[in-house]
Amino acid sequence: MSVAVHLAGITKRFPGVVANDEVDLEVEEGSVHALLGENGAGKTTLMNVLYGLYQPDGGTVHVHGDSREFYTPRDAIDAGVGMIHQHFMLVDTLTTAENIVLGHEPRKWGGLAMDRAQAERDVRELGERYGFDVDPEAKIEDVSVGVQQRVEILKALYGGADVLILDEPTAVLTPQEVEDLFGVFEELAAEDKTIIFITHKLGEAMDAADEITVLRDGRNVGTVDAADTTREELAELMVGREVLLEADKEPAEPGDVGLSVSDLRVTDDRGVEQVSGVNIDVREGEVFGIAGVDGNGQSELVGAITGLRAPESGTVRVDGRDVTDLSRRERIENGMAYVPEDRQKRGLVMDFDLVENGLLGSQHTAPFSDGGRIDWAESREHARGVIEEYDVRPNDPDAEAESLSGGNQQKFVVGREFARDPEVVVASHPTRGVDVGSIEFIHERILDLRRAGKTVLLVSSKLDEVQQLSDRLGVMYEGEVVDVVDPDRVTEEELGLLMAGQIPEDAPSIADAVGGEP
Amino acid sequence: MSIADSRRGRWIAALLVLLGIVVALELFAGVLGVLVDIVDANYLRAVLRLTVPIAFAALGGIFAEKSGVINIGLEGLLIISAFTSIAVAGLLGGGDATQAELWIGFGSAVLASVLFALLFAVVCIEFKADQIIAGLAVWLIALGLAPFASKVIWGQVNSPPIATLNNWTLRIPTTDVVLFDASPPVFMMLISVPVAWYALNRTAFGRWIEASGENPKALDTVGVDVRKVRYTGVLLSGFFSGLGGAGLALGRVGQFIGGGTTMVNGRGWIGITAYLFGNYNPLGAFGASFLFASLDALQIRLQQLGYNVPSELIGIIPYVTVVVVLAFVGRTRLPSAAGDHYESGEE
Repeated sequence: MSVAVHLAGITKRFPGVVANDEVDLEVEEGSVHALLGENGAGKTTLMNVLYGLYQPDGGTVHVHGDSREFYTPRDAIDAGVGMIHQHFMLVDTLTTAENIVLGHEPRKWGGLAMDRAQAERDVRELGERYGFDVDPEAKIEDVSVGVQQRVEILKALYGGADVLILDEPTAVLTPQEVEDLFGVFEELAAEDKTIIFITHKLGEAMDAADEITVLRDGRNVGTVDAADTTREELAELMVGREVLLEADKEPAEPGDVGLSVSDLRVTDDRGVEQVSGVNIDVREGEVFGIAGVDGNGQSELVGAITGLRAPESGTVRVDGRDVTDLSRRERIENGMAYVPEDRQKRGLVMDFDLVENGLLGSQHTAPFSDGGRIDWAESREHARGVIEEYDVRPNDPDAEAESLSGGNQQKFVVGREFARDPEVVVASHPTRGVDVGSIEFIHERILDLRRAGKTVLLVSSKLDEVQQLSDRLGVMYEGEVVDVVDPDRVTEEELGLLMAGQIPEDAPSIADAVGGEP
Repeated sequence: MSIADSRRGRWIAALLVLLGIVVALELFAGVLGVLVDIVDANYLRAVLRLTVPIAFAALGGIFAEKSGVINIGLEGLLIISAFTSIAVAGLLGGGDATQAELWIGFGSAVLASVLFALLFAVVCIEFKADQIIAGLAVWLIALGLAPFASKVIWGQVNSPPIATLNNWTLRIPTTDVVLFDASPPVFMMLISVPVAWYALNRTAFGRWIEASGENPKALDTVGVDVRKVRYTGVLLSGFFSGLGGAGLALGRVGQFIGGGTTMVNGRGWIGITAYLFGNYNPLGAFGASFLFASLDALQIRLQQLGYNVPSELIGIIPYVTVVVVLAFVGRTRLPSAAGDHYESGEE
């Protein structure tokens, strides 16, 4: 087999950062290659160089043995390299066929008209060849994300690509769609197409790829055969040290009730009741986890506790004080920190720099403000402190939040919230979209809070996360906490049943949800 | 809401508005009885002539906005071309300009409008000016420049009257039976509307215009130059507005009137409401233009017949209609990237 893509010594610098540092990469023709690494490891940058979006500061690109210089994506496409971005490049109002042939429309009547029948035939043929099921006449805005992704793949193939780059292709897909996509990879590889896909999920790389290249800090730290590697080896390559897949956790020493929620009822924006009488008591020095399939009232519950959504009835107490009617600001002053699930919408202002973002929520309190004016020097020190302690990259308080990778944004938000020295922390999906190394780091910080006797409410749809960190675990289903269980004794099957609203017969339930002993 | 529903909703809204107008007129003057007398061939002819500037402005606006550049300077382009057509024809032939001289004036007017649109395009695409502000500037500049130039040429804001273009007559071949007899701009409009529809919906270029306004990056990454597509869209808005302005001046009035809001008198703005009402479809935009023009003609006719309907009241109907349509019928889908600048290679 010949080499389809050979990157030799690629170096790409951005102001203050070396995104790629002499990276070598060889991809066999007709193979599936995973580019694995943490957020900010330089995977996307490397692929953007191959696709002509960035010009490298050093190194060479070879496609099918020929040395190439790509100044625009057009050059890369002409050389048979196609890229499918995380955000699809599709026109919502056009049909799938029109999107696929965009820019290469078949013509009739001497070019005066677009030959739509021909376009639809071409698309059908292409789809059948690779086992895709795509309706050429459907509008993009009417089809699912999974289908849109196929349209993107077909578009690249129609444009003549035989090397396909996919940036985090599974991020937007359901588990079933992910499986289908990996099936498509096989079909394509069987037709001698070369696939390179970017991921930060170990399991996906091992499932779908023939070979895996791991990037860390912009360097290629190893290319391994997917068949003879292990998750541990990959994880170690990714973070550069042994990963603690089990967080070390000493027994809890619960104190007084720090956060108390009673008979809480909350409706969503449409007025539909999403939380139907929830009672939770979380003690100091305890992590109370809330598991459940997304959309079973977790967001509304968190909204009502943190003051972002007014409950219909019920009370929320912090250290015994009724805070139900207090604003978000007053709750912060009462010692409640909040890590929101959507960091870009709720946690950060994307075009603020880190100094300003670090100030959010404290902009009116000492030492950052005297009530009117802001002490920028103090704020800068504060942001710098969070950046140092939480290893946020780039290490630059003047960087805009937007310029950070998702994992680093999250670390900054977590750092800011935990730095409030809160009594109660509500953390909603604190590690969503975050790489392995940062997950471990954030988990450690949550356990630190627990050690310091803080009250922690953790909401997450990741079972291993809530199981590992929680001392007690409430399972939400259709707006109610169906059971509170001991995370160390409950099995995945039992949790699965609970999350589907069924109470298994011998679940290790902690009957007394209110202040039960673990 | 499905598309069929929204289409029906659109027509229901149109009918409701019409009904409201009729009732209003009835209250004002008891005109229901005379309506029957008014709507005849002459009325239709007048309506078509009044439709010309509105429909051309709307066609132009569609091309610009669908490509991603909102051109609210259509009114200004109409003014510039109306003025240029009379100025050139008048300078060539004076009060009794020949048909050839009128046609030279017509061509110059279209050219002037395209050049003005080019200026707007350069400012918006090259220098990334805010499109709304640049569009307002086009209007304000035209609104000041045309009367000023009139004063320089004719010593007053209005030109002396000159001739209008002769009608074209469509006969059944080898007979004397007249099928259609109208001023040339009316013919041009009736040809332009389906051609514009075809270009937008059936050609590759039309797909590029659509992509350029919806997701320019998608177009760029398949190797089509977004800037070129947008320039073309804006220049077409200049071309069509040029036809509209020259058609208004040379097809109907035969004079440039520069006082107040000039002879264009808001028709460019109504063109914008027309294409919004028509949901960026040239056929729908033409229908809306025709509707608005027929109201205008009705009002003129009623004045002639001695019914005193306030023209200001009729004048706001297009704007009220567009508010009703945008607010309650929905589904006028603005191009997603309209108003956004696009720079190739930016991440």
